[in-house]
Formats: sequence, structure tokens, C-alpha cells
Amino acid sequence: MSKDKKATGDSLEGRDPELLRRIYEVMVLTRAVEDRMVAMYRGGDLLGSLYTGHWHEAISVGAASCLRPDDYLAPIHRDLGAHLWRGMEPWQVMASFMGKATSPTGGRDGTLHYGRLDLGIYNLPSHIPANFPVATGMAFAAKYRGEDKVCLAFCGDGSTSRADFHESLTIASVQKLPNVFVIENNQYAYSTPVRLTSHSDTFSAKAAAYGIPGVTVDGTDVLAVRDAVDEAVTRARAGDGPSIVEGVTMRMHGHAEHDPADYVVKELFEEYSKKDPVELFENVLRKAGLLDDDTARKVRDEARQSAIAARRKALADPMPEPGNIEEGVYAD
Amino acid sequence: MPTEAPPVPVLKSGPAQELSANPTYLEAVGAALDHEMERDPDVFILGEDVGQFGGAFKVTKGFLDKYGPRRVVDTPIAETGFTGLAAGASLVGLRPVVEFQFADFISCAFDPIINVLARHHWRTGDPMPVTMRAPFGGRLRAGPTHSQSVESYFAHVPGLKIVMPGTPEDAAGLLISSIRDDNPTLYLENKYLYRRLRATGPLSMEPIPLGVAKVVHEGRDVTLITYSAGVHQGVEIAQELAKEGISVEVVDVRTLVPLDVETIVNSVRKTSRAVVLHEAAKRLGYGAEIAATIQEEAFWHLDHPIVRIAAKNTPTATSPPLEDAIIPQPAEIAETLRKVARE
Repeated sequence: MSKDKKATGDSLEGRDPELLRRIYEVMVLTRAVEDRMVAMYRGGDLLGSLYTGHWHEAISVGAASCLRPDDYLAPIHRDLGAHLWRGMEPWQVMASFMGKATSPTGGRDGTLHYGRLDLGIYNLPSHIPANFPVATGMAFAAKYRGEDKVCLAFCGDGSTSRADFHESLTIASVQKLPNVFVIENNQYAYSTPVRLTSHSDTFSAKAAAYGIPGVTVDGTDVLAVRDAVDEAVTRARAGDGPSIVEGVTMRMHGHAEHDPADYVVKELFEEYSKKDPVELFENVLRKAGLLDDDTARKVRDEARQSAIAARRKALADPMPEPGNIEEGVYAD
Repeated sequence: MPTEAPPVPVLKSGPAQELSANPTYLEAVGAALDHEMERDPDVFILGEDVGQFGGAFKVTKGFLDKYGPRRVVDTPIAETGFTGLAAGASLVGLRPVVEFQFADFISCAFDPIINVLARHHWRTGDPMPVTMRAPFGGRLRAGPTHSQSVESYFAHVPGLKIVMPGTPEDAAGLLISSIRDDNPTLYLENKYLYRRLRATGPLSMEPIPLGVAKVVHEGRDVTLITYSAGVHQGVEIAQELAKEGISVEVVDVRTLVPLDVETIVNSVRKTSRAVVLHEAAKRLGYGAEIAATIQEEAFWHLDHPIVRIAAKNTPTATSPPLEDAIIPQPAEIAETLRKVARE
């Protein structure tokens, strides 16, 4: 268990105020960068569509906050917050959505496909959860070498239907790999509602089939996510094997920005509009006396300025030259 | 890098398997694998039944006793899962060797091979050194889903290397190079040869570079370009035809990707006639790539159209008369070479 203790009720007693502040800042930054990128999408700055994680900030930041810098992360396209937590620069993400030479892949891949191995972040292909088997491999390598690193992997509700979900959970559980699998249940797989994806009561209930712990938490409550993932990380690090943590939230935008999401049940949008994870956490901090108006305004303003500066840099960055396009198909 | 590698912990000293004086193709694969596991503590093997059972064909018999379950990993029947696991482990520094029980089952792992392994280095600059071993091919009367030749599916995909040894000597040297290579490599073992083909003497554990073809029988009238089981077939037929005064040069490409175009083209320039032989189905088989390459590089040296000898465009049948009607037989190969050499 980290030094940050689970609170009872609404009390933040026993939790590290510095850590809480950092979680808040990264959540605010995540929202600011994504809001800026939505404007960039609408203004024609970006190449294809834009995949955002509005209302996923509590899951991505809360879960990533449980890792050590030397742990591994296998995120998906709703997890900008996890990238930012580990040090990915906002301009790098924008550069990726613009196909710039300065993107993490130099424009060879792009849009939502960014990662940095130097930050321990796997750069996933399009079809999730193709990152799950890879995540088991990173965890396997840690165990093989006798290291106490863990690998945290994310997927969505829709991903749980695929063979690689089942195969990864099967292998990770029989091999007792130090994995934590976070399922971001945002109610829709593109246009397909959860009721057409799974007949289970919860997605975490699937854990029973693998003989591992599974828990469902409110995915808009960053501390609930953090506590559940922290327990799973602690367990994995101790050599006791993988866990599933399901965070329930709502995808407040379309699958991507081209998608008006007119198939979404209106009541869901209404219900979740009152559950903005960033606002909820801000209120918790205010109530506990850890955040005042001036500081909140300052954090939001700094995040907005960071996003503006990131856009300026990404826009000014060069496009890649095709001269070396045949290089690197193979490692020398 | 440390100047001296740390000793590799083993549970049992000596070879994992005793080798015969003239090791078989199967023994050669096992010996090379054993050699690399002894040499490099980051090499481990995983797959279905590779541990206690020693693999469906016994390539890894004795490995569990020698290296323990940490490095000899019996997996569930989960090809996508364990291939993706290998990708992830390789990304952070290990050198996994995956065994597919039959090449036919590799289709279950198509996704991690194509979308993860093959393009990761080009996308990110980070290598994924995974070796994927798979027994392939027919003549064992194993039917449509246990006899396939899968090389062409994968040869089309940039980022994979394809290795197809035709002799025990090459099986050892090319596997060693595959494991040491920093790229995802598909190493296809012809399972008909496993216990039928023997080395001419003790095996060398020197790596044989990938991308270097070999002229295995010199000749001047016609070039037969082939790989895997086509190599020993081709040499035997070349020896027969020599008695009829037909001089056949046999080129073993050994690796399909990278392809040694120079050795092929030099031979065709000499003989002016080319025949391509493989056990895979003809349509878009690797012979089509070789034929197209020859016409691009040596068209004006040709005295005869390039001919492909390959399996019929059908699945592989089980019953002997049916399978033999599908897969190229020695008589057809000899007759084709006679015709091309004399026309």
C-alpha cells in the first residue's frame, strides 16, 4: 500500500495533499488539452478524427497515479491523462494528431497512436485490446527478471468481447503475472450499448472466471479509482497476480469527434452531465480545505495556457520528409 | 554491455537432448535452441505442450529439466495471447522463441503478428526480437488444416523475416541467426523432414546469415530455385537428370525475406532458364515473387518462360492418392526440368 491511505467517508485524512494536488492538476490539464484539441479538430488543424477521454479523467489519472515511474503502462485512446501523468508533453500528442515530424512516431503512425518506451508507455495499434497480450509480456519480463514492476493496461467495455481479452486474462492468471487490467466502461462501444456487448451484471464479474479479484468502482470518482487500482497494484507487485478494476463512466463525446453520438440515450448524458470527474474532485478538495478559488483559477488558467502553447508549437513544427520512408522496416 | 556475460543458470548441465552422430533436422532445431538458451539468459521458449511433453514433435524434449519452468513456458491454447505476450516481453529486452504446434494454427495469432510485431519497429523505432517456430507442410497425410504452407501470407507483410531451412545444417545455423536477429522472424520447419533428413556429420553452431542463398548443386542448363523440402528433392532430381545429360543448378534461397536476389539472378544469367519449386499453392505463392523478380532483373538473359511448380490451388487432402495429386511429385519436377532444359 502506498503512503496515501484510503479515506473513510468524505474525509481526506491520511492522504498525501501533494499527491492529491498533482492528481487534480493533471486532470485539469487533460481536460484543457482535450478541449483545445476539439477546437483544433473543428478548425481543421488535425488530420483525421479526434478521440478524446472526456469523463475518463478520473480513471486514467487515478489509475496511472498508482504506478512507479519504472512500471509499465499500456493505455488506450481515452487515457490522455495517464500519458500526461507520466510525462508525455501535450504538444507531442497534438503533433501526433497532425502527422508532424515531432510526433512520437515522426508521423509514421499518428492520431491516437502515440506512446514512449522511455516513459514505459506502449504505443498500441488500432484494435483494442491488442494492448492486453503485450501488457502480459511486459509483466512477464518483469517477473522473469525478478523485478517488482507491474504493468497497468486499459481497455473499454467493447474490448472485453475479444479473444485477446480472454486469452490475456487466462495467461496472466495462470502465470500469476503482475498485471492490472482496467476496464473503462463508458456505456458504448462506438454505437453499441453495453447491453449488446455483455450479459454479465458487471465487467468486473468476469474476474471470477479467471480466479482473480475484480471490483467495480465509480469511474467519475478519482479517489475510488485510485484506491481500487492501488490495491490491485500492491497485490501484483507482491507477486499475487493480476486483478480487474472496472471504472464506470460515460463517454460524453462521440466515439470520435466526427460522431454526433445521436444514438446515445439522452438520459445518460443528462445523468452524467452532473458527474463531471474534474468538478467532482475539485469539490472534494475544496470541501477538505485543500483548494481555494484563487488556486483553482490558477490551475485552470495554467492548464489552458499550456494547451495554447502546445498548439502553437505543434502547428509550427515541420511535417516529416518522405526521404527515409523505407528505412526502419527492419531493425539493423 | 558487460564484457563477460553472466553464467546462465541451468538445472542440469550438458545438452538438453543427446544428438545422434548424424543429427536429424529435428535434432538440429533442438540443438540450436539449446545452444542459444545456454548462451543468452534472455532467451526463453513458450507454446503449447513445450514443457513436460517436449512439444508435439519433441523439439523441446528435455528442455524443462534443463532450464526449468521459468524459461520453458507451457501456455494455454491461446495463440493470440502468447504471441502478444512474446511481443511485449521482447519490447522490454527478452528474446522469446514461440512454438506454434502446427503452422496451421498460426492464423489464430495473425493479429499480433501482423498488427503488433511486424510494424512496431517502423512505427516507433523500438525492436521486437521474437522468433516464431512453426512446423508446416504436407506429405504426412494430415489433411487440410494440418498440412498448410503459410509462408506467402506473411511474406507479403513488411517487417517480418521468413526463414525456411531445407537441411539440418541450415536448420541449426539459421535458427541461431533468427534468435539473435532484432526483428520478428517466422522460422518454418518442414515437419516431413524432421526425422527423414540427417546431417552429413556433426552440426556446427555457427550462425548462418539471413538473406544469403546457396547454390546447393551446380549446373549450366536450367536453374531450379526452391527452399525447404524442395532442396533435397531438387538435388536428388538434379543428380538423376545429370545421367541424362541435363545439368541442373539448384538454388536454395533459405530465407524468403530477406531474399538474396543476386544469387538467383547470377544463376539464371548463367543457365538462361528458370524453374521455381515450392510446396505451397501456386496462386500468389512465393514462386510468383521469384519469377517476377527474375523477369525484372534478368529478362534479356532468358531463353524460356519461367515455370512454376507448386501445389494445386486446393486445400491439402488427407488420403495419399489425393494429397499426392495436389503436392508436386518428383516425376512432375523431373519432367518439367527436362522440358524447360530442352525446349
